[in-house]
Amino acid sequence: MAHAAEAVHHAEATTTGLNHRKLLMWVFLGSDCLFFGALIATYMVYRGQSVNGPYPTDILNIPVTTISTFVLLCSSFAMVQALAATNRNDQKGIKIWLLATALLGTTFLLFQAYEFYTFSIGEGLYIYTNLFGSTFFTLTGFHGAHVTLGVVWLMSLFIIAFKGRLGPSTALDVEIAGLYWHFVDIVWIVIFTLVYLIGGYDAGPAATGVFIGPLSSVLPV
Amino acid sequence: MATITGVLARPTAYSGVWSWLTTVDHKRIGVLYGSTALLFLLVAGLEAGVLRAQLARPDNTMVDGKTFNAMFTMHATTMIFMAIMPMSVAFFNFVVPLAIGARDVAFPRLNAFSYWVFLFGALLMHASFVVGQVPDAGWFSYANLTSRAFSPNSGLDFWSVGLLVMGSSSVAGALNFVVTIVNMRAPGMSLWRMPVFVWMTLLTSILLVLAFPVITVGLIELTMDRNFGTNFFNTTAGGDPVLWQHLFWVFGHPEVYILILPAMGIVSEVLPTFSKKPLFGYPVVIFSGIVIAIMGWAVWSHHMFTVGLGPVANSVFTITTMLIAVPTGVKIFNWIGTMWGGSLEFKTPMLFAVGFIALFIIGGLSGVSHAVSPSDFQQQDTYYIVAHIHYVLFGGSIFGVFAGIYYWFPKLTNRLLGEGLGKLHFWLMFIGMNITFFPMHFAGLDGMPRRIYTYPAGYGWEIYNMISSFGYLLLFIGFLVFAHNIFRSLKKGQEAGHDPWDAPTLEWSIASPPPAYNFAEIPHVRGRDHYWIVKREAQAAGQPAPGPEPLAAPGSVHMPSPSYWPLVTAVGVAWIGGGLMIHFDLPYIKFPISFLGGLIAFIGVVGWSNEPTSAPDAHHGGHGAAQGAQH
Amino acid sequence: MGFLPFRSRSVKGGAAGIPPQGFRPRLRRRPSLALLAAMAVLALLVACSPQSHMSTWEVFGPVARDQLQLFNVLLWVMVVVFVLVEGILLYAIIRFRRRPGQALPHQTHGNTPLEITWTIIPTILILGVGGWSVATLFRLDKPPASAGTPLEVTVTGHQWWWEFEYPNADGAGKVITTANELRVPVARPINITLHSDDVIHSFWVPKLAGKMDVIPTRTNHMWFQADATGTYYGQCAELCGVIHALMKFRVQALSQADYDAWVAGYGQPPQLSAQANQGRAVFQGAGTCTVCHTATGPDNPAVVAGRVAGFNSGGAIAPGPNLTDLATRSSFAAGTVDPLNRDNLAKWLHNPNDLKPGNHMAARAKALYQDRGSVKLSDAQVSDLIEYLLSLK
Repeated sequence: MAHAAEAVHHAEATTTGLNHRKLLMWVFLGSDCLFFGALIATYMVYRGQSVNGPYPTDILNIPVTTISTFVLLCSSFAMVQALAATNRNDQKGIKIWLLATALLGTTFLLFQAYEFYTFSIGEGLYIYTNLFGSTFFTLTGFHGAHVTLGVVWLMSLFIIAFKGRLGPSTALDVEIAGLYWHFVDIVWIVIFTLVYLIGGYDAGPAATGVFIGPLSSVLPV
Repeated sequence: MATITGVLARPTAYSGVWSWLTTVDHKRIGVLYGSTALLFLLVAGLEAGVLRAQLARPDNTMVDGKTFNAMFTMHATTMIFMAIMPMSVAFFNFVVPLAIGARDVAFPRLNAFSYWVFLFGALLMHASFVVGQVPDAGWFSYANLTSRAFSPNSGLDFWSVGLLVMGSSSVAGALNFVVTIVNMRAPGMSLWRMPVFVWMTLLTSILLVLAFPVITVGLIELTMDRNFGTNFFNTTAGGDPVLWQHLFWVFGHPEVYILILPAMGIVSEVLPTFSKKPLFGYPVVIFSGIVIAIMGWAVWSHHMFTVGLGPVANSVFTITTMLIAVPTGVKIFNWIGTMWGGSLEFKTPMLFAVGFIALFIIGGLSGVSHAVSPSDFQQQDTYYIVAHIHYVLFGGSIFGVFAGIYYWFPKLTNRLLGEGLGKLHFWLMFIGMNITFFPMHFAGLDGMPRRIYTYPAGYGWEIYNMISSFGYLLLFIGFLVFAHNIFRSLKKGQEAGHDPWDAPTLEWSIASPPPAYNFAEIPHVRGRDHYWIVKREAQAAGQPAPGPEPLAAPGSVHMPSPSYWPLVTAVGVAWIGGGLMIHFDLPYIKFPISFLGGLIAFIGVVGWSNEPTSAPDAHHGGHGAAQGAQH
Repeated sequence: MGFLPFRSRSVKGGAAGIPPQGFRPRLRRRPSLALLAAMAVLALLVACSPQSHMSTWEVFGPVARDQLQLFNVLLWVMVVVFVLVEGILLYAIIRFRRRPGQALPHQTHGNTPLEITWTIIPTILILGVGGWSVATLFRLDKPPASAGTPLEVTVTGHQWWWEFEYPNADGAGKVITTANELRVPVARPINITLHSDDVIHSFWVPKLAGKMDVIPTRTNHMWFQADATGTYYGQCAELCGVIHALMKFRVQALSQADYDAWVAGYGQPPQLSAQANQGRAVFQGAGTCTVCHTATGPDNPAVVAGRVAGFNSGGAIAPGPNLTDLATRSSFAAGTVDPLNRDNLAKWLHNPNDLKPGNHMAARAKALYQDRGSVKLSDAQVSDLIEYLLSLK
């Protein structure tokens, strides 16, 4: 049967043997790496450059964010389980693990909402307050948007699973969502390390402890 | 699922306006890209006319500084993002699936989506003319001139949001071509058998996929600075305007190769065909393309030699930039090597290809002279740079594009473009281009800064500017001749046949214009220059040259069906951008409008993902021998 | 086939669209006359290149000279490569044109030794020039110690004029602020420190040195030295807004004696006629010129900071050029109005937009100017003011 393009997902013969959509997702994730790379670079370049507070050391709550990071890591575990369940056609398992992944992701988002709320209403750090506010909310906000999209995607899969239409023959649908989900998870590990663990005690430009300083010290001077 | 897809009945028209709006056929999308790009080429050319008219005489008061700044900003932005890039994408679309023996791209609907998003992004940016607030900070819009304090009107919002929208189109398109080229080659077409144009498409697409996210971040920061009061480039809050320059040029230099690699690919197809000789040193040409694509990431600061990065950084970027001239030079030698000992036939595509080489040598050489940073301290931001960029992008990219148009037009339409008119077009362009841009070298070395809307008499710049402005007229007439040639040939052009140039690649083995499914049977590729191998074997065996592949029985090839959803989704995406354009003073309008756009896009995506690629009632003929897919 | 327009004969396609196998080339070969003509015109242009205030070819200082030297060598390399490569290309075009009845040419696919050669030769060439440029780059980074103690000047870029501050003009700590005309002693290195109060500009005096960007939040450095007395023209080289084209300046290289005399005279109370005294009253009147300009010696940093802050928040104020030594300058309005004389000052004061459309003076000095730029002062007040300004020596 002659089929063009993406017509047949499961029995598609491609030059490399790799499915089109899976390859697409990998290349897209490469692209997204550069997106987050540029956002993270902006954050790092502007570390310690805010001319007024609040500074990270004043407001970042590392214990709380550690918990939310743990939650997000757990969601990756649940994602792996969901794919495994799909591959062995464990209909109950698919639903449970997909739902678990989505719920853990949602929990992470709730933590982030709580964080944004306390920082802004509580501590007076808005996106326009200083450089820290601008870079912090933009970086974590775009990550949060990625997580939100992932949750929507997982919920759509959950609905499909509920109709009993996920199984070994459609495992690729779950796998691709998983690729995305793990990527978003890994990006958060980088953000958490750089912004919270390493940069969490940053203060204003005069304060010490800035290991990546102004633009002129990262980029060749 | 059925309920949502059921709202809109699947489009079935295969002709008329609706068929164009809903098409997912790569060839038709290529035509859409190409015609849109030519239209914007004309627009940007007219904007250049305003610049040349203003500068023709010293102390001219035809336009004021604001208008002039708007004109050169839109001229460059339009040429780069709305003329040359989509023109290259038009060739990707039309040529690549044919040249790799595929029936379409990997994601036909994503392809349609890319086009519509591009179109709406371009229209969004040009809406700035309607409201009279045109971007005017140059095509690289250096912060902090772009902040609200120094550019209070909405021009730069149109610029940044327009580019964001078009950027998402470019990335979507490029993703599609990476997958298509990696995954959809006909059996036998190993990477080392791929036509050079396909290779350059692959490299360009990878560059697009990796470079655009960087400028996207820059544009997001700019948009947020201007609309949400963030401080990324706010100097009073500690923001550093040089960060923008780094973000822009980390994207911007790969972008230069995004603009030139496709043209190099086209030239690498045209030269062997009209020399009757395979490309000289194919592996070296490919490899130097790869080296250029990699090294293109390590040279961005040569745009910033005068920023004050210091001698260490300037040295590093001087050396890397000079080194990138080597693979570029190697390509030129290989092209000449291709012509050497060949049997050269100077049809119009060949003229443009050879013109490309001749002019690109000049652009490459002047490029080396400002790769050397001490020498660049004098040349940076002068007309010398303007001359260089036009030798590379006009003499290079645009000549490559014209070579491609004359070369593949017969495949697209089964009509040859007029040779006489084509040659007239070439000579007007070639001579006009040199008259317009060569004197700019002298103006620049005599100290004329770029982007000045007026200059006094007595600086010695008058004569060069007068000559340049005269050259513009030749270029403009050349473009009119080209347009006339296109329309004339569409109506009564000479019939081309399936293989008018005795070309080596797969696309010439099928009928002109190609049927919707391209190949009735997916060919087995027997080597580089597959179709030459086939034809010469036939010739050696004393058989007549093979005709076009016979058409498949109607309905026997199952193709993706047209779809509304790419268009709907694209409308949603552009709508989000348009909503953001509404000035910050009206947040209660801005956000609901953008939200509505998001809703439209969401509905589009849901409809799209619930719609099978091919309508279920489409024919399932019994034609075999496809890509081995089984049901 | 034909090489010039309209000269080709159309190819008659073989049966069923098969390309013709026999070729009908034109036997007449002629080099493109048009191309030759264009080259001749260009050669002529080079030969009679007019004198230019901003030419990078006529250099008067060590920095510009070294930069030009490098470019000149590059230029010859470029010319040689150009002639060689275009020559080979032209030869190939002529030599290998299709001939009637020509068989399929020999199908070469490449030649590895040749390809290695033409990769290595440019690499060596380029690394050679690259090494030299790096050496030049480091050599030009700072003035040589042998050249003597440099004079320090701080340059501040404003939309659309230049401010020059000498923290120690005479070696004894005298501070001078002036605008748009930079006076320097001849044959002494000048260390330039660059700042901007608003957007990015670029400081460029082609005959003395290549450019350096002037970037807010950053401090850049460059140096130059003028080997001969005279006037050197400069201009902003980075797009900085609507009238970027009109942001010029001049460097006056003076003999040491002339320079010393200017330094000594700077800030001495001027001799004022009665009319000039009335003009001073206008100048210093509430809400008039002193809001933006200082005419009594170097700028007070606190006052300037207030002007910049007011300007950045859109107030009816802007940092204006220091006018203390205005009458000693040859031009005004950032080098766009030349010469500085009574008539031009009168035109300027009546409506600055006539001479420099879009400048901030007419737009910001709302107490003095109508919306379209015409002055609210009486003609008499304007002539008094001019009298005063022309006394500022």
